[in-house]
This record gives sequence, C-alpha cells and structure tokens, in this order.
Amino acid sequence: MKPLVRLLAVALASLAVAAPALASKDVVFAVASTFTTTDPYDANDTLSQAMAKSFYEGLFGFDRNMKLIPVLAEGYTASPDGLVYTIKLRHGVKFQDGTDFNAEAVKVNFDRVTNPDNKLKRYGLYKIIAKTEAVDDFTVRVTLKEPFSAFINDLAHPSGVMISPAALAKWGSKDIAFHPVGTGPFKFVEWRQPDYLKVEKWDGYWKKGYPKVDSITWKPVVDNNSRAALMQTGEAQFTFPVPYELAQVLKAKPDLELVAAPSIVLRYLSMNTLQKPFDDVRVREAIAYAINKEALAKVAFSGYAVPADGVVPDAVEYSVKLGPWPYDVAKAKKLLTEAGYPNGFETELWSAYNYSTAQKVAQFLQQQLQQVGIRTRITMLEAGQRVQKVESWPDPKTAPVRLYYVGWSSSTGEADWALRPLLASESWPPVLFNTAYYRNDQVDADIKGALATTDKVEKAKLYRDAQERIWKDAPWAPLVTEELLSAHNRRLTGVYVMPDASFNFTDIDLR
Amino acid sequence: MGSSILRSATDDAASGERVRTPWSEFSRKFRRQKVAVAAGVFVVLLVVVAVAAPWIVPYNAETYFDYDALNAPPSLAHLFGVDSLGRDIFSRILMGARISLAAGFISVAAGAVIGTLLGLVAGYYEGWADRIVMRICDVLFAFPGILLAIGIVAILGGGMANVIAAVAIFSVPTFARLVRGNTLGLKHLTFVEAARSLGASDRTIVLRHILPGTISAVVVYFSLRIGTSIITAASLSFLGMGAQPPTPEWGAMLDAARSDMLVAPHEAIFPALAIFLTVLAFNLLGDGLRDALDPKIERV
Repeated sequence: MKPLVRLLAVALASLAVAAPALASKDVVFAVASTFTTTDPYDANDTLSQAMAKSFYEGLFGFDRNMKLIPVLAEGYTASPDGLVYTIKLRHGVKFQDGTDFNAEAVKVNFDRVTNPDNKLKRYGLYKIIAKTEAVDDFTVRVTLKEPFSAFINDLAHPSGVMISPAALAKWGSKDIAFHPVGTGPFKFVEWRQPDYLKVEKWDGYWKKGYPKVDSITWKPVVDNNSRAALMQTGEAQFTFPVPYELAQVLKAKPDLELVAAPSIVLRYLSMNTLQKPFDDVRVREAIAYAINKEALAKVAFSGYAVPADGVVPDAVEYSVKLGPWPYDVAKAKKLLTEAGYPNGFETELWSAYNYSTAQKVAQFLQQQLQQVGIRTRITMLEAGQRVQKVESWPDPKTAPVRLYYVGWSSSTGEADWALRPLLASESWPPVLFNTAYYRNDQVDADIKGALATTDKVEKAKLYRDAQERIWKDAPWAPLVTEELLSAHNRRLTGVYVMPDASFNFTDIDLR
Repeated sequence: MGSSILRSATDDAASGERVRTPWSEFSRKFRRQKVAVAAGVFVVLLVVVAVAAPWIVPYNAETYFDYDALNAPPSLAHLFGVDSLGRDIFSRILMGARISLAAGFISVAAGAVIGTLLGLVAGYYEGWADRIVMRICDVLFAFPGILLAIGIVAILGGGMANVIAAVAIFSVPTFARLVRGNTLGLKHLTFVEAARSLGASDRTIVLRHILPGTISAVVVYFSLRIGTSIITAASLSFLGMGAQPPTPEWGAMLDAARSDMLVAPHEAIFPALAIFLTVLAFNLLGDGLRDALDPKIERV
C-alpha cells in the first residue's frame, strides 16, 4: 500500500508543478497554406503578411471595416501638389531587439524596398517614392516621383511594415526573413517549415497590457477536412478559411463559432474584348444577363456570398453601387440574336484556380451559359499555367484567354488598386491583370486624374465616372463578393478576418 | 460411386458422338465457376448499360440541374441523389460507365496489340530485336504502373485521350513479355518445324501457327488488365489529370465529391461503389477465364 501512496503523492506534486504551465495561454491558428516568407515586403500572398503581423507593425493600418488608422504614425500632412508627405511618428516605441523606433528606422525600411537591387516582390507598390528624409527623430518626409493620392493607403497595405534597422544590418536583406524583428506584440521563436511557425508574447510592447496571450503557433494545414478536424478536436482555436462546404458541419459544433465576414474579394468573369465574339458589347451584356448570381452564391459558396453590385466591392473607398446585374435569360437570348448569334457559339472557359469552390463556379457558369446556347470547354488552370497562359502572355493580339473566371482583393482599400491593375489599358498582360484587354480612353484618363489629385471630392467624381463607364462597357460579368468564413473556439476572442482576407489579432485573448 | 460411374459414362458417350472443340471445352470449364459466371453476367450488363446509356438515363448527365435540390439524398426521383451542382448522380453514373469501360477496353486493347506484336518479334527472332524490346520492357517495368501513367500524362498533358494513351503504354511491356515467353516455347514445337520445312514464310509461321497459340494467355491477361486500367484511369481523373468537368467520369466524380463528403456522403459512395464493383467483376472474370483456358489447371 505504501509505495502506491508515495506514487500518488508524486503524481499530485507533479500535477501541481504542471498547473501553471497549463494555465499559460497558447493559441494555435490553423491556416490553409504554407508561408512563403516572414518578410512582408517580399510576400505576394495575404496569408504570409497576415502572419507577419505577429511581430511587425506598419506606420498605418486598417480597422476591421478597411478604414485607414494610424499605427506607428500619429498623423500626416500632404503638400498641396501631392508630392511631399510629412509623417509624424509615435514616441516611446522600441523594436524587439531594443533598438529605438524613429525616423531613421523608417528611412532604412523605405530605402530598402525602393532599391531595385534588393529585388523585393512588393517593390512595385513603393517605387513611387523618390526619397525619404528624417527631419527630426519623430518626423519623416517622403517625396514622391509623381503625385499619387493613394500613397498613405499603400503604407497601410500589410506589406508596409517597420523592420528593426539593427537586425537588417546584422542579417542582411535576404536573411532577415529567417530572423524577423519588429515592434509588434509577439517575438519570433521558430519557423519549422512546413510544420509551424511559433511566436511568443513580448513584454516590451508599446501598447501596455497587450498582448493577452502567451504564444501563437501558426500551423499550415492544406487539406480542408483535416483543418476542420483540428478545430473539432480543439487542437486549434482559430481557422481560416473555412471551406464553404464545411460551414454547416462546423456550425453544428456547440464550442465553435462560425463567423462570416464581408470581404473586398470580387469574383468576376472577364471576357477578352479584343476577340470575336466578345468585341461586341451585346454579347458581353448577354453573358452578364445569362448568369444567375443568386444561384451561384448558393451553389458554389453555400450561400456565403452576395451578388456583386459594382466593379469595386462596397468596402473599398470610392466604390459606387451600380448593380447587381439582373438575371434575364430572355434578354440575353435577344441580345445574342441581335449580335448575330441566335444559336449561341462555342468558346473556352478558364478558371484562374483549381480548388473545389472554383470547380463548382466553372461548372455552374457552364450550365448557365448553355441555357442561352453558349457552349464552353472548361479548363481549370494551375498557378503555373495561369501565369504562362494568361498573366504573362506577351502579345495581346494572340492571347488565348476568352472567358476567364478570377477574383481580386484590393488590399490597399482604395479604388485605384481595384481599377488600375484590372481595367486600365496600361495594365494589359504581361504588365498587370487586365485580362479583358479592356480599353476606354476616358476610363484611363479618370484613373490617371484621380491619382494626380488630393482633392477627395474631385477623386470621388472621377472614380464614379470610371466605374459607370466600365459597368456600361461590360468587359466583365460581375459575379459575387464572397464572404470570408472563419471559425474560432468560443474561448478565443479578439481575432477576426479583415475584408482583404488578412487577420487582425491585436486584442486576442483566451478565456 | 454409382453416379460418378454414370457421369463418366455419359461423358464418354458424348465425346464419342461429338468432337470436343476448344470452345466447348472452355465453356464447360468456365460454367463450373459460379463466381466468374456471375461476374461475367455483371460485365455484360454493364456493357449493355454503357451502350444504351444515352437513351435510358432519366436526366441529362451534364446539362440537367436543379438548384433547389442541392446535395439531396437518394429518393425516387433521384435514385442515387443529387450532387452539389444539382445534377442527377444516377444518370451520371450510367454515362460514366461508358467512359470508364471505353477507357479500359481501348487502352488495354491498344496495349495488347502493340505488346503482342513486339512479343512475337522478340520471341521469334531473338537476338538484338529481343534484347532491345526486353530491355525497354524492363525499364517500363521498373516504374510502378500508376507512377508511370502519371509521368506520361505529365508529359502529354491532361485529358481523357492522354490517359488512355498512358494506360496503353504501361500495358505494353506485360503483354510483350507474356507473348515472348509463349513464342519461345512454341517455336521449337514440331508443328512449327513442320511448317518451316514445308517452306512457310516467317510471316505465315508467326501469324498462322504461333499467334493462335498465344491467344488464350493474351485473352486471360486482357480481362485481368481491364480492371487495373479502369482503376488507373479513374485514379488519374481523381487526381485532376484525366476527364475534365463536367464529364461524368467516376474518378472525377469522386474527386468532386470529396469536398462535400461530410455533408453529403452519397455523392462519394455511388461513384466509389461503381468503380469497386466494375473492377472486382473484371478481376473475377479474368480469374475464371484463366482457370478455364489454362491447360495446366485441370479440375476433376
């Protein structure tokens, strides 16, 4: 009997020792893909940038409604000619390695990204900067090459973060990706590719009382069903994205909360306006009429999407509500007949993605277009094919793309990045993503004019004109704005998905 | 005891009156195997369904849809239920039988023809022809079948036609080796030597005298191979390399069902069942044929 009692005592004692460890607040995030880098300036994917918010912060940011807010900056003024921006910085902020955050640090970061030799993927977003000067410790003056009224939105983009200049000097521009040091609430611990990336609470964070949890482990789990399983077993406390098919399943679990957040991800069907029969606006309109957007939301997105009511999603600044485009098969047939295609025609339908939701969308579009006599051959492009056959096709005249299902999230939260890369004639592939090869000189002029002015009223007027013209020319059949589905354990609070599919977790807490 | 004597007596009597042709011998042996006969009946039924599918499906497999019945479970209106795009799964399975059987037959037939010719040449002439053919076969054998097929599809590009080509290519070496072995054995037999001494050309000897002797082995292997080919073609479609949407190919249907599996399991069960039963039937049929055609297996 005695050894047993002793054993029991030891067990109890060890339990007591283990108790504080159990009480530590460790959170696991299950995400859908692996991280490409920890350096936001060198990332093209929203997820890597969202993860990097663990240890990095920018001068500006967005709140959950995509409204611009100052973070490491306190405010800014722009010169009347729109060329010089003077930014005031927050006092008393330190980097995690003890370096002070000041104007010099901002200069180091901007000089790094604007130097083409560093070959950073986000160079394009910042190349507009001509020079950065430290006026005093907490004032930075940025001079642009030409007026660019969306500049502060560029700084709020999740790539625009402040990296410790000391760490940059120590590790160099490439290796900093493996040793990130920022001003954020968490310190980098380790990145074991492709299994997980771990960060832990940093005590010196400038916002007192934050963060409220001890660590976050970012776990990429590619398979949808496995990711949902991690949530059901409680191994992960937060997951994004929840595939639309699994929404019902997770919703039924009492300890989980499913959240549908509005997004700025617009899904559309672009039509190659240089090629017959899509050079005829009546054909393009007919296609837009032929698609039942409500049914699409139901079939492919389990109802978690709303018909697009413009060419720029609602949450983006300067967006104009113009639709949704009505569903009218009779009208579509009439337009096709007028255009000389009473029996429809055959064409290619490509999807920019090959995951299950996109497969459903493509087949749904095929079913719908068939009703007005348009027979389509579906090809689901993989990332490599998409770049080769669409995004970097050298000659617009021979581009093989016809109907192209794709989506766009304009992460600067402002109309310029929603219109210029997709619909300006300067953005035909291979430059940017105007896959409709759309050209309207007045739209081009509006977009250019809006960039050159800092007058908000004037800007709004120009962007309204551009959007109305695009809607009328119908280079796209606008489809839906999808909702972003995430799930979290009911014990977890303060984590939400932003409209651009990035995350905000400054208020994260675990009860 | 008595009955066995009686039977052997009638057998003798029958053989006395009628010549036992190879065909009657085969059908006698084959009919004894109940499982194989059942599998054969299933295969015949499947072929009939596949041929008649366009006329007997209740709904169009690709263009019919009902968005109000998404993911609906099996019912009288939809025997196998409705998939996530509102299509009738029963109709799609029937049309899918056409695709899977065609893929299985065509690919194995192509592989068998090419393999048999190569095997005859290699076995009959030996020497360098034999060495080249057999070394190529060895190389192809070194890859696991599905991996080889994936490799070929990766080179040729996706699509059902290329999947058939890939499966045909990976069937070639087995047939070549099989026929070569038989040819080596047959060509030293007296009837071949007799033909040669009568002045028959190589062509006549190979095609008229040796080829018929290898046919039974080829037929057996053919039927066994169809099962493998159907499953390989379905696997490639499952991996997204074969049939493209909205083609109702079983493997592709299974792949599409994966994302909805937790909500609507019937979408995965029926295509999976179709693949399973078809492949099983072909394998059982192949086993039965082997037992019936192999002169070394004599059941008393």
